[in-house]
Amino acid sequence: MKTKATLAGLMLALACSLPFPTSASGDGFNDAVKTIEQFYHVKHQSIPFLARAGMKAARTAAKVRGGDWKRLAEAGSVRMVYFEDQTFDSHGQIALFKASLQRVLGSEWSALTQTLAPKNEEQCHIFVRDAGNKFHVLVITIERHEATVVQATVTPNVLADLLKDPEGMGKSITDEATTRDP
Amino acid sequence: MKILFQTLSKIGPIILLLLLGAATTVSAQNPKLELDQLDALANRASDTVDVKLDEHLIQTTSKFFSGKDPDEVEIRELLKKLKGIYVKSFSFEKENQYSPAELEPVLSQLRGNGWSKIVGVTSKREGENVDVYVMQLGDQISGLTVVCLDPKEITVVNVVGPINLDKLSELEGSFGVPDLDIARPKKKDKEN
Repeated sequence: MKTKATLAGLMLALACSLPFPTSASGDGFNDAVKTIEQFYHVKHQSIPFLARAGMKAARTAAKVRGGDWKRLAEAGSVRMVYFEDQTFDSHGQIALFKASLQRVLGSEWSALTQTLAPKNEEQCHIFVRDAGNKFHVLVITIERHEATVVQATVTPNVLADLLKDPEGMGKSITDEATTRDP
Repeated sequence: MKILFQTLSKIGPIILLLLLGAATTVSAQNPKLELDQLDALANRASDTVDVKLDEHLIQTTSKFFSGKDPDEVEIRELLKKLKGIYVKSFSFEKENQYSPAELEPVLSQLRGNGWSKIVGVTSKREGENVDVYVMQLGDQISGLTVVCLDPKEITVVNVVGPINLDKLSELEGSFGVPDLDIARPKKKDKEN
């Protein structure tokens, strides 16, 4: 009996020590939103599309498009949440947040580009996963007082264009998601 | 149950040694470096850039590079053979905000393990040290790593696949590869 109990205890300890994210739902978008909320103690806002369409990005859109307007995301594929007028302070542990995101998104999503500037609490994380013959791109942008999480489906040729400048890629997709169509 | 424990206690250490041995052999000749051990530096760095382009992503997208622009054709041909591009870069506001010991997890992978350092490579930037390492399988390069160390900046570029310094320069400024400003050795190196 004692041996069985010891064995069960050992197995439980082993199971508890495995580093899988127990809270991951399998939907990277929701998992990313939840991770931000838990880490930064913030709450996302659901903004109706028409309200957010006119939001901020008009001034930056022209710059990133650099000429002719070109749609990046497949029509109707964009999912987005917004965090506004909240405080994002990693308390010197920005690397821990990066690791949390990677853990929760697991092996299904590949981290493509992650840029961090802790002094200004600015971050951009781009993850990619297969979606049949297309790709899902998940862009998480955090600044000191606002954040956005955008998921979009893109074709491989759009992704190829974006890969030439991985750091600019997140901005292009986020700006498209927050800009009214011309 | 007692027999099971007795058997496990006898063969367990042997299995563990075999697994460790296999893992060591695999990592010993792996041109993809484990760079995530540098991530703790991100808390102190003023800017961190981490780029990971794996083989699947490179191969799926490389065919969409234009066949008209000669530069793009060259890049497409180069990308076709690559299995990964991994970049980590940390910039610091002040000098000496990192210690050499913090780079040891990466530098130790470049000592032996199939890697050899190209002699004579220097940086065009004042105060910056550049080391370039290649891994060869037979007469083919299977990986190239550039480590740039500046008192205020660390950059590690790890490319998996057949690439040399000249070809790496074609990727500079795109695919997350920064401008490295490397001065090539005068004597022509024999890679590719």
